[in-house]
Amino acid sequence: MRKLLLFLLALATVAVLAACTANDDAGEDPADDAEAEETESSEGEGDTEGLEEESGEKVLRLNNGVEPTSLDPSIGFDAVSWDPLNNLMEGLTRLDQDSVAGPGVAEDWDISEDGLTYTFYLREDANWSNGDPVVAEDFVHAWKYMLDPNTASAAAFLAYFIEGGEAFNTGEGSADDVAVTAVDEKTLEVVLEAPTGFFLDVLTNPAFFPINHQVAEENPNWHAEADTFVANGPFMLESWDHSSEMVFVKNPEYWDADTVKLDKVHFAMVNDTNTQYQMFETGDLDTASIPPELSDQLIDGDNVYIGDYGGLEFYRFNTTMEPFQNKKIRQAFSYALNRADIAEYVVKNGVEPAYGYVSPGFTTPDGRDFRDENGDLVELNPELAQQLLAEGMEEEGYDELPEVVLSYSTSDTNKAVAETMQSMISENLGVDVSLENQEWNVFAEAQQNLELQLSRSSFINDYSDPVNFLESFVTDSYMNRTGFSSAEYDELIANGKAETDDEQRYEYLYEAERMLADEMIATPIRYYNTVVLEADGVEGILRHPVGYFDLKFADRN
Amino acid sequence: MLKYILKRFMIMLVTLWIIITLTFILMVNVPGSPFNSDQSSNETIKANLEAHYNLDAPYHIQYLNYLKSVATFDFGPSIKQPNQTVNDLLGRGFPISLELGLVTIAVAVISGIILGIIAALRHNGFIDYMAMGFAVLGISIPNFILATLLIQQLAVNLNLLPPATWSSPAHMVMPVLALATGPMAIIARLTRSTMLEVLTQDYIKMARAKGLSPWKIVFKHALRNALMPVVTIMGTLLAGILTGTFVIEQIFAIPGMGKYFVESINQRDYPVIMGTTVFYSAFLILMLFLVDIAYGILDPRIKFHKKGGE
Repeated sequence: MRKLLLFLLALATVAVLAACTANDDAGEDPADDAEAEETESSEGEGDTEGLEEESGEKVLRLNNGVEPTSLDPSIGFDAVSWDPLNNLMEGLTRLDQDSVAGPGVAEDWDISEDGLTYTFYLREDANWSNGDPVVAEDFVHAWKYMLDPNTASAAAFLAYFIEGGEAFNTGEGSADDVAVTAVDEKTLEVVLEAPTGFFLDVLTNPAFFPINHQVAEENPNWHAEADTFVANGPFMLESWDHSSEMVFVKNPEYWDADTVKLDKVHFAMVNDTNTQYQMFETGDLDTASIPPELSDQLIDGDNVYIGDYGGLEFYRFNTTMEPFQNKKIRQAFSYALNRADIAEYVVKNGVEPAYGYVSPGFTTPDGRDFRDENGDLVELNPELAQQLLAEGMEEEGYDELPEVVLSYSTSDTNKAVAETMQSMISENLGVDVSLENQEWNVFAEAQQNLELQLSRSSFINDYSDPVNFLESFVTDSYMNRTGFSSAEYDELIANGKAETDDEQRYEYLYEAERMLADEMIATPIRYYNTVVLEADGVEGILRHPVGYFDLKFADRN
Repeated sequence: MLKYILKRFMIMLVTLWIIITLTFILMVNVPGSPFNSDQSSNETIKANLEAHYNLDAPYHIQYLNYLKSVATFDFGPSIKQPNQTVNDLLGRGFPISLELGLVTIAVAVISGIILGIIAALRHNGFIDYMAMGFAVLGISIPNFILATLLIQQLAVNLNLLPPATWSSPAHMVMPVLALATGPMAIIARLTRSTMLEVLTQDYIKMARAKGLSPWKIVFKHALRNALMPVVTIMGTLLAGILTGTFVIEQIFAIPGMGKYFVESINQRDYPVIMGTTVFYSAFLILMLFLVDIAYGILDPRIKFHKKGGE
């Protein structure tokens, strides 16, 4: 019996030692104990919250999926960071209920005749959550910080529209040459590199949010924890239990605080589609995404929100590899695809097949949709496909088509789409392609290095203008990944960005898109969309086609 | 004994060094980069990012930096969560994984041993078949299936327990059940088979002949020898469960450290890969070492050193 006791003792030692290593690994940080307390106190909060809700507080429970990469506006270059940030902060402009850039911190602005100089007038009552006024210097500080090569911001290229921005970011220029100046406390002047019709829209991106320069100079890590975070948006950060939960409360200092209806927003971090759906079922979450297996069952429900989302799934042809150096062969492959079937039966979840590159939801100067205006650019046409293939092969002197490998990054949906394409190409074109999948990161590298013949891609808009997608294919663009190069196309895109007459600008963009389809550098498959389950009583969450969801007008009854 | 421990410690350091070096070689040879993204980017942005994280340095410099970071146990900031150091991530995640792991191990070991003993004592009886049938189920149902089923039944349908997240003891019930079932089944089967073997030994017959009560025979004479194989698997089991499990933590949204093992590799988050690898290796080696010590205590025939034994 004594030996048994000894054994139990040994087990206990194991446990204690294990606990010790835990403390060692925490880097002898005294904060460790504080953290434990924090978790306990947040439990306590959980209890009181229950009471608060009974007392009529409006609380919304959302899921952010994972921990935000960073709440530093210049660093967190992804939806998981920008969705929370968009509700904690506000830029000069903010997307309104029609998803158009309207006044934000800037009450009003002037644009010079040549379209180069923007003067923004900041609201007198725009304040930070610590009571400081939001001043022009906060924007100057934030933008120069984003462009500083030492910051290594992934979003910095968005600020290349500003004169001197690119030079500073590449290390050739200096911060002083970046043409953004605080004229006085509430007036900001920005000079652009070239006229940019959609600049006000670009400014709604979280990368352009201000940073309270006084706070940031004192504590460069102000954005890392809830107690140091200063917000200037509809909400402020009450608590942030890393990798677990964020709690936002209404920001009384926000200039439009009267419009904000919610008192509290919880952001859970549940990264499993089934679990978050089950939490929606039990009422622990107010919104959820639809697990793919349940799509057929749930997609037609009354509580489903389906909306446009600026983005495209497409396949790139590598024009530097046989047989896709030939335009007709590229076109032949594109005509062989039945996109409607792929969208409806393979991807499901209410997505729309793509017959053009620019996704629906971009409004032209005369108020129509870019997509309707430029029409369908690709279609299913097996006869034409076979004819083009025969012509292309003759041009190249092929007796037999070189082997074609269709590549995609490993995922269930990508695999299903690729297999469907394989069978469509075989059926409609009589060509047997082989499939190859690679781990995402390996795949991305190979695609970048032009090692893949025909490979899957996805594009999500960074800003709300059709040129955002189209400019990917200019010569030597990092996003090109096809080997395509055309002086004519480059010129169309340059004009499509800088033309000051908006109607003429759109003409250039229509032409660029048509040229892309004619050259068939990439073949569109389907547009992305937003599908969300919303609990009864959840109202007014703005989900922009491009941009991040906005809870300013949201309500929870 | 002290000499043995010292020797083991030296071997442990060498093993760690080999693991670090191999991990580094594998890491730099896997194609891809932490900065690959479907989102727009350009060469400047990538170059700035690489310079920021010293990834533009030659490999031997990077290797020396890694060795230094291991020696000082300071792996620097995570690339994918730049506001947090690897130590922050592990320091926050490990206590949670450890808490879940210890409860799981306790449940698995206690219930596994009891189940095994009962099955052995009622050998070929109804209870034996029941217990072993249960064990086979436990081994063959993957824990992520069990986890989803538990949530669906206990949280969604019956509304007894919270479905996920980590804030109260009630949140712990389902993850522990899902995690403990597999190890429990393995322990039960191991205990049963060795127990059966031990019970046929002469010294047990002797004990019976002396007229000792069956329970005394089981606990005093049989169990200790029967536990040897269980102790053997404890080392890997402890290291595996205490450092967190990716799937269970993901399903129940538990902020432990399990996810970093998998996600850091997918994201090529080099500092986190090194941090988790070193941490896990050191932990595993330590557990194996403790298991060796436990052998000596359980079975005096195993000696660490000629002079070291009893």
